[in-house]
Formats: sequence, C-alpha cells, structure tokens
Amino acid sequence: MNRKLTFSIFRYNPQETGSSPGMREFRLEETENLNLFVALNLIRETQDPSLQFDFCCRAGICGACAMVINGRPRLACRTKTAELPEKIVLMPLPGFRLVGDLSVDTGAWFRSMNERLRSWIHTDENFDPDAPEVVMDNQVAEEIYELDRCIECGCCIGACATAQMRSDFMGAAAMNRIARFMLDPRDKRTNREFFEIVGTDQGIFGCMGLLGCHDVCPKNLPLQDQLAHVRRKMGRQALKNILPWYKN
Amino acid sequence: MRIIYTDLLCIGAGLAGERVAIEAARAGFETICLSLVPARRSHSSAAQGGMQAALGNCIKGDGDCPDVHFQDTVKGSDWGCDQEVARIFADNAPLAIRQMDHWGVPWNRVVPGRSCYYKGGEKLEKEESEDKSGLITARDFGGTAKWRACYCSDGTGHAMLYTMDSVAVQHGVQVHDRTEALSLIHDGERCHGAVVRCLKTGELRAYISRATLIASGGFGRIYRASTNAVINEGGGQIIALDTGVVPLGNMEAVQFHPTGIVPTDILVTEGCRGDGGTLLDANLERFMPHYEPEKAELASRDVVSRRMQEHMAKGLGVKSPYGDHLWLDIRHLGREHIAAKLREVNEICKNFLGIDPAESLIPVRPTQHYSMGGVRTDKDGAVYGLKGLFSAGEAACWDMHGFNRLGGNSLAETVVAGMLVGRRVAGFLQEEDMKVDTALVRGELKKQQERIDILRSSTSGEAPFEVRNRMQDILMDYVGIFRNEKDLHLAVEKLQQVLLSAENLKLSSRGAGACPELSLGLRLSGMVRLALCVAFGALERRESRGSHARDDYPARNDRDWLVRTLAFWPGGRALPRLEYEPATKVVEIPPGERGYGGCEVISAES
Amino acid sequence: MQYQVAFPTASGSRAALLDLVQMLLGLALVVFMYLHALFVASILLGPQVFNALADFFERYYLAQVGGPLLALVFLTHFFMAARRIPFSQQDQKKVWTSTRMLAHRDTWLWTVQVVTAMFILIMGAIHIWVVLTDLPITADKSAARIQTGFWLGFYLLLLPMVEMHVGAGWYRLGIKWGVIKSSARNKAKRAEYYITGFFILLGLITLARFMFVSVS
Repeated sequence: MNRKLTFSIFRYNPQETGSSPGMREFRLEETENLNLFVALNLIRETQDPSLQFDFCCRAGICGACAMVINGRPRLACRTKTAELPEKIVLMPLPGFRLVGDLSVDTGAWFRSMNERLRSWIHTDENFDPDAPEVVMDNQVAEEIYELDRCIECGCCIGACATAQMRSDFMGAAAMNRIARFMLDPRDKRTNREFFEIVGTDQGIFGCMGLLGCHDVCPKNLPLQDQLAHVRRKMGRQALKNILPWYKN
Repeated sequence: MRIIYTDLLCIGAGLAGERVAIEAARAGFETICLSLVPARRSHSSAAQGGMQAALGNCIKGDGDCPDVHFQDTVKGSDWGCDQEVARIFADNAPLAIRQMDHWGVPWNRVVPGRSCYYKGGEKLEKEESEDKSGLITARDFGGTAKWRACYCSDGTGHAMLYTMDSVAVQHGVQVHDRTEALSLIHDGERCHGAVVRCLKTGELRAYISRATLIASGGFGRIYRASTNAVINEGGGQIIALDTGVVPLGNMEAVQFHPTGIVPTDILVTEGCRGDGGTLLDANLERFMPHYEPEKAELASRDVVSRRMQEHMAKGLGVKSPYGDHLWLDIRHLGREHIAAKLREVNEICKNFLGIDPAESLIPVRPTQHYSMGGVRTDKDGAVYGLKGLFSAGEAACWDMHGFNRLGGNSLAETVVAGMLVGRRVAGFLQEEDMKVDTALVRGELKKQQERIDILRSSTSGEAPFEVRNRMQDILMDYVGIFRNEKDLHLAVEKLQQVLLSAENLKLSSRGAGACPELSLGLRLSGMVRLALCVAFGALERRESRGSHARDDYPARNDRDWLVRTLAFWPGGRALPRLEYEPATKVVEIPPGERGYGGCEVISAES
Repeated sequence: MQYQVAFPTASGSRAALLDLVQMLLGLALVVFMYLHALFVASILLGPQVFNALADFFERYYLAQVGGPLLALVFLTHFFMAARRIPFSQQDQKKVWTSTRMLAHRDTWLWTVQVVTAMFILIMGAIHIWVVLTDLPITADKSAARIQTGFWLGFYLLLLPMVEMHVGAGWYRLGIKWGVIKSSARNKAKRAEYYITGFFILLGLITLARFMFVSVS
C-alpha cells in the first residue's frame, strides 16, 4: 500500500493581484523512487499549473532547486520522498527575494556577491596564445577544484541566522569562493587585498560560527574549516595592518 | 513597455554565449546576456567528463596534434561535418583551453611516474614523463585515437562555466537572468534584437541590439527522456525558425548518449568508460568487444548506443519496471579513483540510485543527449538569412559535429566557437551600424503581447502540459535511435495534429506574472515545429549516417546524401521546407571507413 | 582590464580587531570561570583551604585589582558580543523564525548563549558587586550569604547559566578560529557537554557544602 503524501506548499505570487502569502495543501500518492522533482512537476501538471518552483539540471549539479524541505534547506531534485514523513512542508529559501511560491532570485544575489568579491583571477600577466600553459602541481589543482565545486544553490545562506539578520552579510559561499582564489597561484592578489574584500563585518568577521552552512551544504564543501582558515588568515592580516613590526 | 538598447544581445549565458559576450565586452561594446536561469545554472555546468584539445601532454596522448583531433572529429561526424570548420576547431582548441587555464580553470595535471589505468576490464600500467609534469593532462574518451579529454575531475563543465562567468563579471558583461526571448525583431534582412519576457514578473520588453547571438543550447526536451536540463527546450532555435528566413541545419541529427541512468535519465559521464569502465548485459557479460573488436566501449556514442539497443533487442537487456537496461561497471576502478576522478558520478549514483558505484553496477541505457543540428551559420558564426544574427555552441549548426558529436567536443566547441564568433561579432560591431525602426519594434512587441493576451483569455483548447507530453511521447516512440519510413511517417502525421493542438491551447491558471503554464504555452507550438523538423528531416533522409540510423536504409550513402539538411519554416506552412547543401566545400579527408560501427557505405563514385 | 567592477571598500580593520579582542576576552573569561569554579570548590577540602586561597589572592592584590579588572573585561565582553545580538523586534523575529525552522543544534546553541548572557549580565553584575564590596572573601561570609534562601536560589540559577554560556563559548571560539577542525567537531561537542555537566555538578556540590559550613 503506497503512502498518501500531503504536500504543504508556500504559495504567493507577488505579480497576481489578490494573491496573499499562505500555505496550500496538495495530495499525491507516493510511487517507488519518487523524488521532489517528479512530485512537484506532477502537482503542477495535474493539480495547479500556476505553481512556481525552479528546477534545471535535476541532477544535483546546477543548484537551481534549493528550498526548505521540512525545515531544512536542501536540493529538491536530490530529495526522495521516502526519506520524508507523510507530511512534507515546502518553503522558499529565506534570505533571497521571492519570485513566487517556491521560486527565489538567487541569480541576482550571487552575481552581486561575485562582484563584491571580485571573484576572478587577478593577474598582470597577459595571455600568450603561443606559450604552453603555466605548470601547476596536480595536487594544487585538485585542492582548488575541491572548493570550486560550490554550485551557488544558496542553502548555506538560507541556513545562516546571521545572513537572515543582515542582508549585507556575504555568507559561507562567499568565504569559500575567496578561499578558492587565495589558494590559486594564478591569482596574484596579496593578503592585504583579500583583507579589504572580506576582512569586514560583511565578510568573515560577521560570521558567528553557527555552522548551519556546513551542515546543509549539499556538496559537502569543507565550509567549517575554510571559514576558520579565512578568519585566521584575515585576523593575522589585521594585526599586520596595525603593527608595523609584526610580519608573518 | 521597456525598451533596452545594447550593442550585443546574447540569447543564452552558457559557455558559448558568455565567451562571445566577453570577446565583445573586451572590445569595448556593451553586452547583455539573456538567460532562462542564472548564468551559472546554464546546462554547460552539467558537462562532466572533459574537453577535447590536442595538447598531447599525457603519455597516452603522446604524439597528439590538431591533425589527429581533426581526423577523429570528421570520422566521428560520419563525414557529415563541414571539414573547414572542423579544421578551424581542432587547430584552435589547444589555444582555447590554455586561455581557460589562464582565466582560472583548475585542470587536472600530469603527475610524473608510474601509475595504473584500466582499458576495458584490463589493468595496465603507464609512466608519465618528468618533463610534462604539471601540464594539463587528459583522459580517454570514445572515438578518439589519443587520450585527449582534458578534465577537472568530472565537473569539467561546472569549473569552466564558473570561470567563464567570473571573467564575464570582470568585464562587466550584464546578465539579465530569468528572461526568455519570444521572438526576434527583424525586417526579413537584418536582425534588430528580440522581444523578451521576464520570467520574474511576466513583463514584456524589447531589446534593440546591433548584433544578436543565439547561444541557447540544445532542444533535447522535445524528447520525454533526455539527459538535458529542463530548460533545454529549443527556445533559440524556435525564434530563429520563426523568422521564416533562417534555416535550421541537420535537425534529424540527434545524439543518444550510451549511459543515461535508469530511471531519471541523468547522465553519467563517458569518462566512466574512458577510465576503463565496461558495459555488461543481463548475464553480466561484456558485449561491446563482440560488436566492436577494435574500440569496444570506446567507439563513438552513436555506435555504442546502437549496439546497446541491438543487444537489448536480442533479449539480453536487464528487465526493470522502467523498461530494459544494461549495466555500467566501474567497480574495478576502485573507490579511490571514483572519489577523486568521478565525483559527480559517485554523487549521482548515491543520491539518485541509492547505490555505491564502487560496489554496485549502474543501470544505464541510451538516452537523448545532444542536438548536432541547430541554427545554421557560416564558419564565422553568422546565421544564414539574417544579417546581424549570430549563433554559437549547441544552439548552432556551425557544423563541426555532422551526424555524431564526439564526447568532449561540445565543451571544446563552446569555447573555441565562442572565441572565434566573438571576434567576428566584435568586428561586425565595429563596422556595422543600424537604423532603429521603431515601428518594427513596436509591431513585434504588439504581436507578442497579443499572443499572450489570446492565450490567457482562450476559453477552449487543450492544456499545455498534456500537449507537450503527447509530443514527447511521439518522438520517443517513432524518432528514436533506429528509425524507419513507417514510423517516421506516423510521427510526422501525429506531430502535425499535435501542432494544431499546440496552436490552440487553454490555460487552467490565470497566467499571471511568471506563470509557468503561460511560459510553456508560449513556447509549445515552437517546440512542436522543432519536433517536426527533426521527424520530417529524418523521414526525408533515406540513408544512415552517424546518429541517424535507418533500418530501411542501413547504408551511408555518400552518393546522394553527403549533404546537410536545411529546414525553413515560412509562416502558414504545415511542414518545414527542406533544402540541402553540400556537407562540406573543403574536403581534406574524403569519405571513408570510420574504423568502428561497421556501417555499409555507398561511395560517391558508385 | 582588471578592477572594472566598482564597489565600496569597507574598512575592515575595526571589524577584525573587535573580533580578535572578543576572542581574547572570551578566552580569558572561560579560563577565569573554570578557575573560579575550582577555587570555590576548595571549600570541599575544608573552610581552611578556602580561606587560605582567598587570603593568597588578597595578599597579592589579585582580588582588589583583579576583581574590578574582571568586571571591566566582563562588561567589555558583553558589549562586544552584543554587536551580534539582535535588539530590534524585527530582527529578533527573523532570527527566531529561522532558528525554529532550521532545527539545527549549533544555531540553537547560540540562542542559549544569548539568553544565558542576559541572565549573566544582571546576576553576574550583582554577584561581583556583592563580593567586591565586602572584601575580604572568607568561607564564613560566603556561607552566611548562601544559607539565606534567596542567595541559594540566586546561585542555583546563575550556576547553570554560567556553565552553559562558558561551554558554548569555548566550543564556538574553537570552531570559529579553527582550533576545532570539522573532523573533531562531534568529539569537541561531546567534550563540551561533559565538561559543562562536570562543572555544574561541581558547583552544586560546592553550594551544598556551603550550606553546611557552620557560620560563626
């Protein structure tokens, strides 16, 4: 006997006159291997075609479908209903502007984050089309890739109490991103330059170490250790900035 | 209604779109990319295994050069490609990958010394040389003579896209995400921009641009089962086809990837087989060497997919509630290798199948994966039929892939074509000005607004989701890996009926704002027209070439069909008008044997 | 070509220094509180031991100077940490909603830190005032205070507040500055629970012992 699932879904379309925020229930019979990608599409196709949510790759690669599932920010495409109780509560990811229902505007948020971080390789060297690539140790490449795996889904922001309180706080995704550039030998920025970007209350020193980010990251990024690493590095830099005799 | 002016409008912000945008922005032009999703969620991010570039750094790629890459590409295309383009591509791939490295992609590198690798099920040893230490390494992929697929674990597309977007941010390329182009603004000769619907608010806008680029990716989602992201519904191809003057090239050339997982149709990379994974049947026996003694699992994708289908037709597939499938075995590669070099595969298996690939077999079957066809361009990326319109990446039929794309050549195409087309676009912007015709713009805006109003107020017709499902099922049932006259006839007939339904829809929601039902309603008839281009093109092409395999015409016919299909759709027609052009003007390698696939050939001289 | 995107550069030094100082003060208070707990527990070895220790502190002016200094550190610590505490009702609501939604232990732990901080601010201040205005510290005076019912209740409440706050405090510091790596996090958290439990128990026993010190 298949379970009868009840989906309690946040509904609000800011573009529709007369729409007001609230929860609406949908019922669906559970089938084998049902995940939230299939379930939400079924609900949309058979029960309410105006239901808004975001899926893209539906393979846990693109990060489009983060939402709060029974109280936890997760990727919906990777969530099987079998892992959940019969009552499934779906809320849009907090900390981002609501587009409608379960859909939030992560694109604008992350674009602005990347602009603030200046998250690109800073170098004065020009690309030489005729030269072979610059040599890099494979282990360094793998360490960079480890951090480069962030998919900007926004789960870490949704799970961060600090980010909920302070909209200018850049969050774990940003600290992980800057750690990736600190690691990259191609990026010639100094610690002083990095400090100007993240050595602030909007950056690493705004973090209270609650670790919601670390515990919900669907890519299992080493956020706890990276946040601590950036904090130590920037703390040292702060001392260097004011104590002229303190080097390294 | 808002009107936005820009020098370059890129429709699509994946690797190809952003690469073109960066080139234009670096030349000092204002550039806006439109994207259905935030740029970094573009489907480029899902490319896993690698990007082909003939660097020849790793020992198994020793002696590789653009010539070999070119030959592999032409053979892979089953001589359907434009050889001039394939040559330009192969020559520029090493440069493009090094530029991506300069911009920050963490490519895996050569580690000197001895190490083990697998080929088929067999364990072998190789020794990387000291003087190549730290240069970009590569893995084996299907249909290639050398190890040429450069990679970042199996998140190559992701790493490249994030790097590309970071460079786009650096150069001030604007991305207007969650927007969908509904139509191109044109006067039959020149493209003036596009009418665009905002998917956050439902607002309609006109973008007026001196140059417009279509880089919106493939259209795999016309099939029900596809490895493609759900956004790959062919928006770019639709607006090009709708102009009536722009042709879509080789729409019948649809690639099926051998290893989509069952169920859910998510891709696991060709890198699995490249790194030594094998395909097993219901009896847990390897079968590919039996069909393809030379290349086995590493023949080109069209061949492996066909052989898998053939094998399952013999009753040797594994039965499951989701239909027959086969097994992919990567257990022998070991947990360590899987955790380091096949991370995504590992995650996908764990999250979507609930299995550990180091211990269990992965259920796979051929699944729609790539559109070789698309908006036909010349070798500079300029679209046939409309001045000021360009196209690049999977959206385009630049035509280096012909009838079958090699694994790793799509990522390579996005950055190579992006770079070259970008240069051409920048040149075009330097030379060409445009008189803005406000009547033309307002006319197109009005036309699209009317479409929306009609759809929202329609009181009779079918539901968009049902009609879409019907279209998808027809393609699954009749326009799959093996095709024949009867099925294709049926497909065309049924799709024509579906087209009538798609032009007469009724929403059950109010269609307010960014309503997804309205969005689908607006693009559905275009999707069915694409489906008809595929089915009709396949029906008319009475030969087998690459991924286009006809039971009733099993031979590749170079005498009559060494041509590219061009599908035009002038307004009011029930079917596309098909024209043909020679597959290639330049012939560096005359048509011959591919070395795998065992297809009969009717030569041009006979 | 570089640096095309304009953005305001915030002066980070202040934020960084505040964070560093907050860490050092927090650490100092953690050490002090644990030593304090051990000191008062010396009553278990007898009033003479307790008095001898108190006398020692007195003789070297540790109480007279250290006491007010401690009060200063205590208040500074509060004001620095208060930067993080939401005081507007709207912010409190946001945090509360998000905390309840998340069901995440370390986030709850922070709520514990904030709530206990409020108690400690008031009760701790009273305690410091009472002790420092009535120097020297002797077992007699302490026992006399505790044996009135009000002060017993007072300390029974303050004790767990302090220990929970201190435990959560050092755990958080360890996490934030990377002394506790992610691989050791669960172990550290378990250790935190045990240590907090130990000091609460020790405190209770100490209080009980004071109840039985005969006041002359």
